[in-house]
Amino acid sequence: MFSVLICDDSQVARKQVAKCLPQDWDVAVHFARHGEEAVTALDEGKGQLLLLDLNMPVMDGYQVLEHIQQAGLHTAVIVISGDIQPEAHERVKRLGALEFIEKPIKPEVLSGLLVKHQLFVKEAAQPVKQLDRLEPAIRDCYQEITNIAMGQAGDHLARIFNVFVKLPIPNVNLIEASELLMMLQDIEDKETVSGICQGFVGPGVCGEALFILSDSSFTDVAKILDIKEEVDDRVQLELLMDAANILIGTCLNGLANQLDMHFSQGHPVVLGQHRNITELINTNRTRWRRTLAIELSYGLEGYKVQCDLILLLTEESLKVLNNKLSHLLED
Amino acid sequence: MSQSMLSDMSEFHWMMDMLQTVDVGLVVLDRDFKVKLWNGFMESHSGLLPSQVRERCLFDLFPEIDKKWFINKSRPVFELRNRAFIIWEQRPYLLRFSNYRPLTGTEDFMYQNITLSPLTSPTGRVDHICMMIYDVTDVAAGKKLLESAQVTLSEWQERV
Repeated sequence: MFSVLICDDSQVARKQVAKCLPQDWDVAVHFARHGEEAVTALDEGKGQLLLLDLNMPVMDGYQVLEHIQQAGLHTAVIVISGDIQPEAHERVKRLGALEFIEKPIKPEVLSGLLVKHQLFVKEAAQPVKQLDRLEPAIRDCYQEITNIAMGQAGDHLARIFNVFVKLPIPNVNLIEASELLMMLQDIEDKETVSGICQGFVGPGVCGEALFILSDSSFTDVAKILDIKEEVDDRVQLELLMDAANILIGTCLNGLANQLDMHFSQGHPVVLGQHRNITELINTNRTRWRRTLAIELSYGLEGYKVQCDLILLLTEESLKVLNNKLSHLLED
Repeated sequence: MSQSMLSDMSEFHWMMDMLQTVDVGLVVLDRDFKVKLWNGFMESHSGLLPSQVRERCLFDLFPEIDKKWFINKSRPVFELRNRAFIIWEQRPYLLRFSNYRPLTGTEDFMYQNITLSPLTSPTGRVDHICMMIYDVTDVAAGKKLLESAQVTLSEWQERV
């Protein structure tokens, strides 16, 4: 099996680089915490590709490159470093590195270079059954029924918490698995979040509701709920669950009423507290291909509270839903 | 009695029988949190007969329940007809029941997930809610074990 060696003194960086490797690349991944470990691993025959940091204790990246040159090892090296000076680029190229990637590393940059140097060959896209495009009229329907449902949800939130809720325009899109990640990263806006997800199912329709609250919102949420005690993790989980229950519940009820169906809701699952969005939904993102995402972003007037509710519906559910909605389109 | 009525009757009896034996705690509460219904699961795990709890306030029966907290959780159910979910990560249990597997179980008590669901009266008002108590001890124990294993593993990785 093709072997990839990731050498970086930071554990976070090692993990990040590993995460950036193409999802469908069947390789063995090895790690080294500094140059000396990398050299040992290379001597053991590991690392046909070496992803190398420059500034490290014990033995730095330049020394590793020198060693590879002197020993005449056939390993492809891509340097990944935060050192963005032109001189650094030139030096590593002179020492035989194929490419230089600046930190923070992006998956598309890495996979682009891997393809360019023929280290990774993208599998021919599987001929997949093309899903009917989302007709504008149908999209309108989804948007409208969500509008009504979230209006109810907003009203409920307003009544329980005694605040004015700024209602967003729902964003309805058919998206790929990778696009969901991008969409979530957009929400992230460089801060940590806490999330809850809850499965729901009705006749022929199933999906998941994701509720994401930015961590900076907690202070204000506690203020609104008149919580005097210190807002520790336990209290935050309570707040998260309360808000999720109300928003997910009323939104689903609103949709169900309009679709003339009933949704059962599973038990909510805590995706994580104070995490990066990408960490929250890293698991099993390969199981599905496409989803209808209904994205709702709620804000509260006068407060620094930002929460997002995303309803994700499976491809199979769309047939049933489109059918139900087509009645709305009839004159 | 006609054939169809008979079959309706037996279906009703089956349904009642199943609610009585299902391995989920079912309780109906009114707006004053007086117990209106108490199924077999609740009877077995609490040791209290339906006749002992009927028309009595939940908070009198179980003074260990955080009254203010529980009322807060049920408020949206009464007022908004919204289901409310409470998971074991928030509080391990609402009612302290002992572990379903007293000998081979690793935890002392039963971890519980709770769903509060509105019950609509014929007039459309929500005067009662249904509380469902699920035993999630194995899930909780598994997750705790996994988390401690992850911590050990990362400590070990740091040391190597």
